[in-house]
Parts: sequence; structure tokens; C-alpha cells
Amino acid sequence: MNRNNIWIHVGIAVVLITLAGVLGQISRWKSSLRQASPVVKTDKGISGLSVGKGVAPRHDPEVLVRFKPGVSMDKIRSIASVNNDSLADEIESVRGLTVIDDLDNADAAAVARQYSAMSEFVEYAEINPTIKLSEPEQSPSTTQAFERPLAADAPNDPLFGDQWALNNTGQDGGKKRADLDALNAWANTKGSEEVVVAVLDTGVDYKHGDLMGNMWTLPAGLSQYFDDELGKFDDLHGFDGTNNEDTNLSVRGVGSGGILASDPMDDNGHGTHCAGIIGAEGDNGIGISGINQKVQIMPLKFLGRSGSGSTNDAIEAINYAIQRKKDGVNLRIISASWGSTARSQALEDVIKAAGDAGILFIAAAGNDGSNNDSRPHYPSNYNLPNVISVAALDRNDQLASFSNFGVKTVHIAAPGKEIVSTWLGDNFREASGTSMATPYVSGIAALIVASDPTISMADLRKKLLGSADELDALKGKVATGGRVCAANAMGNVVKKHSHQ
Amino acid sequence: MGFTKENAATRAKDDLAKRLKIDADEIVEKSISDKEFPDMSLGAPAAGEFAAQMIAYGWIIKLEAVGKTYEYRADKYQIRLVGFSGENHVVV
Repeated sequence: MNRNNIWIHVGIAVVLITLAGVLGQISRWKSSLRQASPVVKTDKGISGLSVGKGVAPRHDPEVLVRFKPGVSMDKIRSIASVNNDSLADEIESVRGLTVIDDLDNADAAAVARQYSAMSEFVEYAEINPTIKLSEPEQSPSTTQAFERPLAADAPNDPLFGDQWALNNTGQDGGKKRADLDALNAWANTKGSEEVVVAVLDTGVDYKHGDLMGNMWTLPAGLSQYFDDELGKFDDLHGFDGTNNEDTNLSVRGVGSGGILASDPMDDNGHGTHCAGIIGAEGDNGIGISGINQKVQIMPLKFLGRSGSGSTNDAIEAINYAIQRKKDGVNLRIISASWGSTARSQALEDVIKAAGDAGILFIAAAGNDGSNNDSRPHYPSNYNLPNVISVAALDRNDQLASFSNFGVKTVHIAAPGKEIVSTWLGDNFREASGTSMATPYVSGIAALIVASDPTISMADLRKKLLGSADELDALKGKVATGGRVCAANAMGNVVKKHSHQ
Repeated sequence: MGFTKENAATRAKDDLAKRLKIDADEIVEKSISDKEFPDMSLGAPAAGEFAAQMIAYGWIIKLEAVGKTYEYRADKYQIRLVGFSGENHVVV
């Protein structure tokens, strides 16, 4: 730029911002007047249907905006201010990605359009629907698992005989060896407490008797997590992203010194189930064994009590994981047993940033029984070098009837039906879904890292996908045409173990 | 306390009455059936919502009012209204 003209350009830019802000504001006022339904699509009672300007007790950040390179934070604050908005948060791991809180409580789509129109400064803007959930209720009931005789070299966990995914002996009408061949894999390694796997989910019951020895806690040498906009978090047990939009701090809870509570305790059970699959303590005489008998599980809570969550909360939690990885935590894998058909560029960007930080992102393919090649499911469908999409198998090596598939977009399958694992209140129960298949793949990834600590993310992904035992049932259904195999991944290509 | 089939139906009826601005007595409970849902949004995600991909068990509650049928889905945690004005809603 000609230095003699720079102030002319700056002046034009200021005029354009102000003009866009004024025009957008007018549009949003009109939109507010037209608006019959709330900004947030989720209703909390009928009273939530009539949210108007100045009526809501607090404001949720409505829009995720990614600004172009070179737009400073001061400039972003200035743009937000002109629009009568505020910068609620900056997603540090993705350059220019911000969470914008509209102070008028206008229609989120209108706010997003307003920012999108500022193409000189904005790459994209998308709405951030938030999900409000009911208050905590009692724990779900548990199912009784049947204890079986153990294989000679099996761990002494009393429910191991029910863990057909680890060692399928044909129990309950299953097919022998339709499993992950855990016993042979464990001849190489049973996991390592040096490896950290993040469970991005409903939280984890970190006090569960079969999990507590394998839970990550904030290392003594690391400071509590600090976010420029949100403040300092007490992240001793992990991260809770479910309350970040609450500007009313009493909702989240503030401890001494103004530190925000960040308790990722599970209030649903799903995350605890997934965590047990990855790393319930093995050979401890309690319950089950994870595919890793030793590992560190980091809970990242973004799904609420009912098992659902918002894009922004997922982004915040992934951003936390990336920051901790950069802080030196040996976080190599994020296990993501969730999804929907909603696509978010901002979520894709933060998952890509996780990949750039060396974190593999393993995602459930979904449970609609549909083809993800033609009906995409996210985040599993993001075409990123760190994403693996996982389908579910039953105990007969057949694709589970509910499992999504897609020869172009779903990479591999794993056991995901009638899977026994940990549950709230020191319980154990069976559950089914690609939710259950996903942590098996995440867990095998952790086993690979335990045996080869310096393996790159790209090689880790390659090794995982290369471990697949090809199955007729998966030809044309998933890219590898097979079921992940822990023993193969360990290099024990020939199944040596005689199943008992 | 979580929802039961019965109190979920009552709550759904109350919700519909308020949305339609009619008396709850004008709503007919057509059916309540057990259902296996594909995920924890009960197969009815709200806009931009992500859900745990675990098979969930609950109920489909069909209500009839002013000549139309409305579908609610519920489990012990939540109640959802499906496709009302073209969108899914998390009621509770």
C-alpha cells in the first residue's frame, strides 16, 4: 500500500465498518420485531418462546465469527462494539475464530448474516445454537452383567468374560474371534500411563472405582487453565465447557480467588461408558478391563445431562485440549462419540487445529443406519488428515443394523453392540452404538502410542487403519473394508492366541 | 426424579396446550409407545445440536389437537417436540 494513501484506506475502512454496523443493526431490529421464536431454538418451557429485546435474563453468545488474517483483536472488539455486540471469547487455537455475544438478543441468523457481509474482515460467520437442559436427576438404572469363567491369561476383572469385543469366545451366540484380539495385543503392551486420551463427551465419573486409577489430573507443574475472556478455570480433573456461555457466574460457580469451577463429572453416564472402554483399569479385580489396562483419561465435558451439546461448547473443549497439548501434556487422541448432520466450519477448523497440534480425532459415524457418503454426519465426515470415522459391529462381525456406513467417508469398524462398560455410581452396564465402537479405536490408538511413543500422528492413523481385519460384511461399506484389530496394530499380525 | 411414560405424556400435553393456546382438555392422547432411538437427541436434534451416538430408550407420545397430530419423544432425561413449525424443540 502507498504510505501516502494509508490514512485514506483506514478512513474508508472505518466508514465501511460503521455503515455495515448501522445497516446490520437496522436489519436486526427489524428481525427482532418479526421474530416469533427465540434465538436459541431450544425451549425451556413455554416461557422461553417469547424472548424479546431486554427480556432474557442473560445473553448467550450467538455467533461464531472467523476474522481474516491481520484483523487485530482491538479491531474485532471495535467491530463488535459498533454492532452493539461483545467479544465473548477467542478460540485461541484457530487464528481469528471468535465467539460473539449479541447484546440485543436479536435473531442469530441475522447477526451471522451481518458479520458475513463484512467480507473485508470476516471469513465466515455462523450461528451457534445453544442447548439448554433440565436439572440433574437420578442415575439411570444398570443392567446385570453375567460373570463368566476367564481365559487363563485374561485379566482378573470379573466381567471380562462378557467383554466379547476384547475376547470373543462365542459367548451369547457370538462368533469366535470376532473381536479386537486384545489378549495378543497385551502380549506387547497393556497400555501406558504416559499416554493421555481425551474423552470429549458428557464428562467422566472420575471417582468410579474402575476408572479412578487411570484418570488424568492436572500435573503439578502446570498452572490452572486461563482463558483471556473467560478467566481462570479449576481444571484439576479436566474441562467442563457446558457453562461457558453463562455470563452469570453464579451458574457455573466461582471458587476462591474468582476461579471458575470446571468440573467434568459425568451427569449422564455416556462419557463414563466410553472412558471405561478406552481405559477401565485392567487386572484390578473390579468390573471390566479397558482395551488399555493403563492409560490417562482426560474428561472434556461438552454434552449436557441429556447427552446433547452445542457447537460452541465442543469448540471450547477442543481448544482446551490443544492448549494443554501445547503445554506439554502427552495428549495424542480425542475420542468423540457424538455427532449430527449439522455442519460447522468453525468446528472443522478447530479439529484441524487439533491435527496441526498432533492430535488424532476419532469420531462416531452415527446411528441412523444410513450412508454417510450421501448423507454426511459430522464431525466424522470432515475430510481432515487427523479424523477417523468409525462404524459399529455386532458380536458376529456383522455391521450393526443401526450403524452408518460409507465406503468413501467411514474408515473402519469396531465392536459397538452390547458392550459392557463402566457407568455412573460405580456401576456397569451394556450399551450399543457407534459411540461404543469409537472408543475402542481410540483405545487401540493409545496402545500403539504406548508401544511407540514417538510415532507421528500420520503414522498412527496409518497404523490404525492398516490393522483392519477385512470382513466380507464390510466390503463396500467402509474404506478399509475391515474391523480394527489391536493385535495387528501391535505388529502381531498372525492371531496366535487360542481363544478359550 | 426422571420422567416416566406417564408424567412425560402429561408434561407433553401441557406443553402443547400452551403452544396452541388451548385448554389441555382439548388434547387427545392418541398413543404412547416404547421406542428405541438412534441417539441421545432421540433422533430429533435441535438446530446445531450434537448428540451422543448411543442407542437410547424412551417413548413416542402422539397427541391430537385442532385436527392435527403432534409427536413428542421422551426418555427419563428429556422431552422433545418433533417438527413443530418445521423444527425440533427440546421442551425439557
